[in-house]
Amino acid sequence: MENGTSLKQAVFLVVFAVFTLLCWCPIGYGAYGAPTLILGMPSWAVAALAIGAVMFVIELVYLFGSKLSLDDDQLPDIVQSIKSDIQ
Amino acid sequence: MFAISVITAICLVSVFVGYLAFRQGYTRTPDDYFVAGSSLGYFVLIFSLLASFLSAFSMFGMSSLGYRTGFGSLFVLSVNLVPLGALWYYMHRKTFILGRARGWMSMGMPFGERYGNGMRAVIPIVVLLASIPYLVAQVQGIGVMVEAISNKAIPYHVGMFFVPVFISLYLIMGGMKGAAWVNTVQGVFFSIMVFVLFFAVMAKNGGFMPTMEMVFEAHPHLFELGAKGGKLWSYPMVFGFAAAMCLGCVCFPQPYMHAYSSRTAKGFKAMVLSFGGICLIIITMPTLVGIASTVIVPGLKGVEADKVYGIVASRILPDWLAALAVAGGFTAAMSTVNGLVFGNATNLANDLLKLIAPNTDQKGLVSAARWSVAVIMAICVVLAWNPNTPVAELSVLAFGTVAVTIFPLWGAYFWKRATAAGAMASTIVGLGLNLVFFFWGGKNMVLFPQANLFQLNGFLAAFLATGVVFFVVCLVTKPGKVEEKSLDLFFHPSLNGNAGETIDQELVKA
Repeated sequence: MENGTSLKQAVFLVVFAVFTLLCWCPIGYGAYGAPTLILGMPSWAVAALAIGAVMFVIELVYLFGSKLSLDDDQLPDIVQSIKSDIQ
Repeated sequence: MFAISVITAICLVSVFVGYLAFRQGYTRTPDDYFVAGSSLGYFVLIFSLLASFLSAFSMFGMSSLGYRTGFGSLFVLSVNLVPLGALWYYMHRKTFILGRARGWMSMGMPFGERYGNGMRAVIPIVVLLASIPYLVAQVQGIGVMVEAISNKAIPYHVGMFFVPVFISLYLIMGGMKGAAWVNTVQGVFFSIMVFVLFFAVMAKNGGFMPTMEMVFEAHPHLFELGAKGGKLWSYPMVFGFAAAMCLGCVCFPQPYMHAYSSRTAKGFKAMVLSFGGICLIIITMPTLVGIASTVIVPGLKGVEADKVYGIVASRILPDWLAALAVAGGFTAAMSTVNGLVFGNATNLANDLLKLIAPNTDQKGLVSAARWSVAVIMAICVVLAWNPNTPVAELSVLAFGTVAVTIFPLWGAYFWKRATAAGAMASTIVGLGLNLVFFFWGGKNMVLFPQANLFQLNGFLAAFLATGVVFFVVCLVTKPGKVEEKSLDLFFHPSLNGNAGETIDQELVKA
C-alpha cells in the first residue's frame, strides 16, 4: 500500500476514534447542571446530534468518496485471488 | 379492534411475502436459504438490517426512557450508533469478502476457520444464550401489547402465541430472502409511523420549540446532564450505555448475515453507513415524543411510563391512526424476533450440526434450520408464558454478552498472534462475568456505574476484563496448526488491496 494511502487511512482512523468518543460521551461539550436551550433542546444535545451528523458525513466520504474503501471493481479479483490460493 | 385487524393483516402479509420467496425458488439451496444467494440490493439490505435490530424497545422503550430521564436517552440508541458506519465496515469488511470466497453462511464459520472447531461450537451457543432472554422479552411485549390494544379481547396467552406462529411460518418458508423482504416492509412501515406520531405530538402545543419550552418549565431536570445529584446521565453512565449498545451491535448475528447476503460491496457499505444515520433520526423522534409527553400525559410512573407511546398516540391521533402508530411498534418487535431467530437457527444448522454430523447434505442443513426456527420460538413461548416472570430483565445481558466476542473477532481479522486459547478463554470469561454481575447486583449492576467497579457499569467492567484476558492468554499460548494455517486466508495480500500485485506475481511465475 502506498505511503499516501496509509497516511490517509491513519488520518481517517484518528478522526473516527475522536468522533466515536464524542458520540459516546459529551465530554468537552456538555457540562453538568442547568443548560442553555438551543431550538428548545439543551445545547449539549444539539451538539451531540450535530456531532453525529458530522460523523455520518465523514463516514460517507470515507466509504464512497475517498477511494480508500472496498470497491466492486476490486471485489472479483480479490475473491478469485483468495479462491485460487486457498483450497 | 381496528388495531388487531392491522396486526393480523401485517402477520398475513408477512406470511404471504415469505410464501412468495419460497415459490420463486429463493430457498432451494443452503446458499439461497441462509444468505439469499448473496443477492440482496441496497434498499432491502438497509431496511432489513435496520428492522432486524430495532425492536419494540426502540419505540416504546426509548419514548419511556425519554419520558422518565430526558435528553440523556439520546446516547442509548441514537447518537451513539452513528459510529457503527465505521465500526461495522472495519470489523465486517473481511466477513463480507471472505464470506464470498469461502461460502460462509453463519457466525461460527469465520471463528471456526481461524481458531478451530471449539470456537465454531462456542459462538452459536453463546449467541443463543444471549438471544433467548431478548427474544422472550419481545414475545412478552407482543402478548401484553395485543391484550392492551384489543381491550383484553385477545388475552395474553393467545396474543403471545399466534404472533410467533406467523413468524415461524414465514421464516421456515422464505429463509433469508423472505425475512429480508418482510423486514423491509415492516421497517418502512414503522419508520413512517414514527414520523406521523412525532409531528402530531409536536403540533399539539404549537410546534417543537414551544412544546420543549413547556417541558423545560415543568421538568428542567430532563434537560440536564448529571441530574439527581450527579447520578442521572453522569459521564460514566452515558459512556456505559452508549458503548454497550454500540459494541453489542457489532457482534449480533444480523451484521454477519446481512454481510453474507449483500449483492455488492456498495450495498454492504450503504447498509453499514445508513444504519447509524437512520437511527439518528428514527430513534431520536420517539425519544423526543417521550420527553414531550411529560406535558401531554403527565404523572406516569414506572411500568405505566412504558406505555407512554401508545397512550400519547391515543390522546393525539384519531383512533385508526393511533392504532397504526402502535402497530408500528409491533412490527418493530416482529422484525427483531425474526432477525434474531433466523440468525440463531442458521448458526445451529451450519455450525453445530455440521460439527456433529459433517456429512449432512444440503437438504438436511436447510431442514435443520427450519426445525431450529420452530424449536427456538417454542422455547421462547414457554419461557414467556408467565408475563410477570422477569426474564425480560435478563435481556440486558444480551448486548454485553455478545459484545465480548468482539475480541476474538478482531483477533481473527487483525492480529496474527491471536490464538484459539485466547479466543475461548475471553469468550467464557466475558460470558461468566456478565452472568456474575447480573446475579450479584441485578440489571442495575450491569447497566449503571458502580463505585466498586471504578464507576464502570457491569457491562464495561466485563468487557475490559475480557479484553485483558484475550491479550494475555494469546501472548502466553502459542498458535496451533489451525491458527497457523488460517493466516494464509485471513491475512491474504489481496485483503490489503494487493489483489493486483498477487495476480501480477502469478503471471510472472507463469
